[in-house]
Amino acid sequence: MSQTSSSFDLKVVLRDTLMVGLVSLILFGPIVGIVLDGYGYNVEPGRVGIMVAVVMAGRFLLSLFGQTAKGRDWIESFKRNDGGVHVLPPGHKSNLRFILPIIILVAIAFPFLATKYWLTVIILCLIYVLLGLGLNIVVGLAGLLDLGYVGFYAIGAYGLALGYQYLGLGFWTMLPLAAILAAVAGAILGFPVLRMHGDYLAIVTLGFGEIIRLVLNNWLEVTKGPNGIAAPSPTFFGIEFGRRAKEGGVPIHELLGISYNPNATMIFIYTVLFLVVLLVLYIKHRLTRMPVGRAWEALREDEIACRAMGLNHVLVKLSAFMIGASTAGLAGVFFATYQGFINPASFNFFESVLVLAIVVLGGLGSTVGVVVSAFVMTLLFELLREFGDIRMLVFGVLMVVMMMWRPRGLIRIARSGFAIRKGVAP
Amino acid sequence: MSKIYRKGILALAIGSAFTLSSLAHADIVIGVAGPYTGASAAYGEQFWKGATQAAADINAAGGINGEKIKLVQGDDACEPKQAVAVANRLVDSEKVKAVIGHFCSSNTMPASEIYDEAGIISITPASTNPKITERGLTGVFRMCGRDDQQGIVAGDYIVDTLKAKKVAIIHDKDTYGQGLADATKAQLNKRGVKEVLYEGLTRGEKDFNSLVTKIRASGADVVYFGGLHPEAGPLVRQMREQGVTAKFVSGDGIVSADLVTTAGGPQYTKGVLMTFGADPLLNPAGKTVVEALRKSGYEPEGYTLYSYASLQAVAAAFNGIKGTDGAKAAEWLKSHSVNTVLGEKSWDSKGDLKVSDYVMYEWDDKGKYNQLP
Amino acid sequence: MDGIFLQQLVNGLTLGSVYGLIAIGYTMVYGIIGMINFAHGDVYMVSAYLAAIGIALLSVFGLHSFPVLILGTLIFTVVVTSVYGWAIERIAYKPLRNSTRLAPLISAIGMSLILQNYVQLAQGARQQGVPTLLDGALRLHIGEGFVIITYTKIFIIVASIIGMGLLTYVIQKTTLGRMCRATQQDRKMAQILGINTDRVISYVFIIGAAMAALAGVLITLNYGTFDFYAGFIIGIKAFTAAVLGGIGSLPGAMLGGIILGISEAQFASLVNSDYKDVFSFSLLVAILIFRPQGLLGKPQVTKV
Repeated sequence: MSQTSSSFDLKVVLRDTLMVGLVSLILFGPIVGIVLDGYGYNVEPGRVGIMVAVVMAGRFLLSLFGQTAKGRDWIESFKRNDGGVHVLPPGHKSNLRFILPIIILVAIAFPFLATKYWLTVIILCLIYVLLGLGLNIVVGLAGLLDLGYVGFYAIGAYGLALGYQYLGLGFWTMLPLAAILAAVAGAILGFPVLRMHGDYLAIVTLGFGEIIRLVLNNWLEVTKGPNGIAAPSPTFFGIEFGRRAKEGGVPIHELLGISYNPNATMIFIYTVLFLVVLLVLYIKHRLTRMPVGRAWEALREDEIACRAMGLNHVLVKLSAFMIGASTAGLAGVFFATYQGFINPASFNFFESVLVLAIVVLGGLGSTVGVVVSAFVMTLLFELLREFGDIRMLVFGVLMVVMMMWRPRGLIRIARSGFAIRKGVAP
Repeated sequence: MSKIYRKGILALAIGSAFTLSSLAHADIVIGVAGPYTGASAAYGEQFWKGATQAAADINAAGGINGEKIKLVQGDDACEPKQAVAVANRLVDSEKVKAVIGHFCSSNTMPASEIYDEAGIISITPASTNPKITERGLTGVFRMCGRDDQQGIVAGDYIVDTLKAKKVAIIHDKDTYGQGLADATKAQLNKRGVKEVLYEGLTRGEKDFNSLVTKIRASGADVVYFGGLHPEAGPLVRQMREQGVTAKFVSGDGIVSADLVTTAGGPQYTKGVLMTFGADPLLNPAGKTVVEALRKSGYEPEGYTLYSYASLQAVAAAFNGIKGTDGAKAAEWLKSHSVNTVLGEKSWDSKGDLKVSDYVMYEWDDKGKYNQLP
Repeated sequence: MDGIFLQQLVNGLTLGSVYGLIAIGYTMVYGIIGMINFAHGDVYMVSAYLAAIGIALLSVFGLHSFPVLILGTLIFTVVVTSVYGWAIERIAYKPLRNSTRLAPLISAIGMSLILQNYVQLAQGARQQGVPTLLDGALRLHIGEGFVIITYTKIFIIVASIIGMGLLTYVIQKTTLGRMCRATQQDRKMAQILGINTDRVISYVFIIGAAMAALAGVLITLNYGTFDFYAGFIIGIKAFTAAVLGGIGSLPGAMLGGIILGISEAQFASLVNSDYKDVFSFSLLVAILIFRPQGLLGKPQVTKV
């Protein structure tokens, strides 16, 4: 490096580095260097020194790299606004053909091999896949930033718990009902606000999500407030999976005359959840190829052009909103039955941010991306449990960097291409 | 490629599950679950310090039935969702025989269900919500009192000693705070005092001026607050600033020197009353333990000794039944009493302590709290 | 009852002027680049920490007289917070100026997470506080009731008015202000006329951060306590205030803040403080539906 650097403008590099060092000293000096303790403080200059040094070294290397031809290209690639989707060549066969059966096989074998702990982790992963898929329709495809998404999740979860408590409805009744309930809530919220400018929408949905949480927290007579409420375990035609029958059914181990398996409940939830995820994946896959799916994406890219073409933008947006909300409702039911107990604390703003991060990192609009990032994110959260405090920071950094590096996410949407066939009606 | 990624992680996950489960068999593994990260991380540390000290002392004295205790941490960060995952991990991967935990009542609730289902006993050193032991679970115990016991002490004190006629009850709309406020309210009503105001405030906010004006308008001579110190501090300060001189009474959620910091100085917290367990540092049985902890550079505050005592109870039960069976240990604990660092403890059929030892404390003008005689 | 009503008015006024100061940051940034600076609430949070650090530092140097202490803290906080505002714009928003519409918003949420957790890691998760600097209160008797206004509250209202006046002067009378207004009206045209709009945008972020810093010092003085999460709730309320007054309008931000503060206090007093936040959020939704341009904003015409 030292031989080649003579051709660079070293002065610029050094000036940049010094400037950055000065700024980071002002930024980190007080907050990192002086730690409040009661009304006094402790001075920790070492930490500031390390941080400033790291920032300066980073800036130095970046400036050096920026002076090489490769580096210039690299920096240019940030400024490029890589537009939209890329179209696959006609007749392209996705690798998914081979991978999908393998995954399904692994998924079927999984409950027989895993411990209960890993079952619960994977169930959580799948719940986030559902949430991510739903939000992906709203944010990724329709381009509506929804920051109160967790509100619909809460509606699903509380739908199951309250429906069981007051109406005696079980898991299977509430599963479709919660989806409908959440969709209706989505429509009620969406109808008045969807005419709004995109950023206003973000704030209104944020407000709406908070309203739902606050009402759940304050409406003591019905929701028991912060104390939370119990949610029922799933049953299957009167068969129960717990050690003792609670719903008046028969525990499965007594029915089949086998010894009690503590994993049974989780295996059942896992199975149903996996099937639901597959179903949602399929529906979503079809939707994006239908006119309404095309309309979502067109509206995201250019609303004015769409309206000029005679598209009813409110209806199109509303459909995206409702489908996204109903998916969250489904996820909520699974969450409630999996945890067996819910309280409003599980549905705060950060949950919305987490789901948003999953969608953004996976690639706005990309189904595969969302599935992958939901798994990576949830597993990372589990595996890095010790780094609890840092993970949210890493999260924030990831969100900012991703927006600069790839505003459209890790995996870009690929659209299948079609060749015009001669003499055959398409 | 991305799908291969997912498969790899799955394989990794399954693989590590197997290795984890094959690890722990030699010793008696006991989980210590609580918030080791997040805003309540300080309490998790108290749990861990107390439990490690207890494990060291018990192991030095021969262990449980001749086997050594091995402790594992479970971090729930005070989020119910994480508590479920942690509970399952402790039960399945770590194969724990008993659990000390959790801290937040909202976490103990779902987690204890999992422990009970798996047939192992759990003792919470700090969760005071009454519902925890009211759900018919056989293996759930506590080493602390219940909010309703705390409420009775506070309610009686307000009626008998403060002779209050008008009481305003404020809570923070959280599992702990509201439970405590309701318990106190119930006791006050039983004693014939009807509250003049019952309202909630939002955790995380700092402006309670409009609420304070309402308190002033109600003419209350005692304000009872169910909640934690981050809200109690500004609330008591704004009361004094608006000239409300009513007595401020609260529970064990404000037992922290930070109360004074958040209230803007000891001139505001002077005379604040609170209920808390009888000072364990004054207990002669705990003296040697306290000395040992202090020698290692740790001041055994808050729930440290409660955690220590919880592990003592587990050890006593396992020694008593000459095994580690959860159901038998639970039965043993309900029919015997254990001599712990907090004194002689025994449990009723629900798993609650038979005798609660809540007493009143008062904050002085130097920012310290003292047990009232 | 009279005294109670007036007391609630005072409570609302102090709360509202604080909302207004933070709302200025939202409204100016939105006016000029049309994005919601989600991290602005957290800039306020950082400034609260800086204020406490400033007070602690100066007290150690033996400065105990209130005016000197508060002036020193104010200068320290405003300067450092301004650098934060500038750096945030530089890192998280400037590279995204020509990106998709969602990109800066998501990056702003990321920045908000970064600030919160950075401060939590650096300063710890516990509650922080400052000692009471200005004791005493004004007691006014009205009929049978009375109103108590602490000197700190009077100081807050006066300082907010001075801050607003200063800002209005800068925006209306100086070259910098003219450049800001020109960029807000038509960025491309301003650029053609030789205004370095990138620099103007940086200035706007600095001004917004400086106003948040003023709010940070005042709030810290009044309530005496804060934590790393303090920016979230107050940020949303301030944004509501900005929308209420008409986003993009400076007097609107202040007016919106005061209206929100007063109506919140009166709602808590007359109805129930449990549902106070539900009320503010409902107010926000209602305004956006029925009068999206706010009280003092100009209606937006979308060019097709």
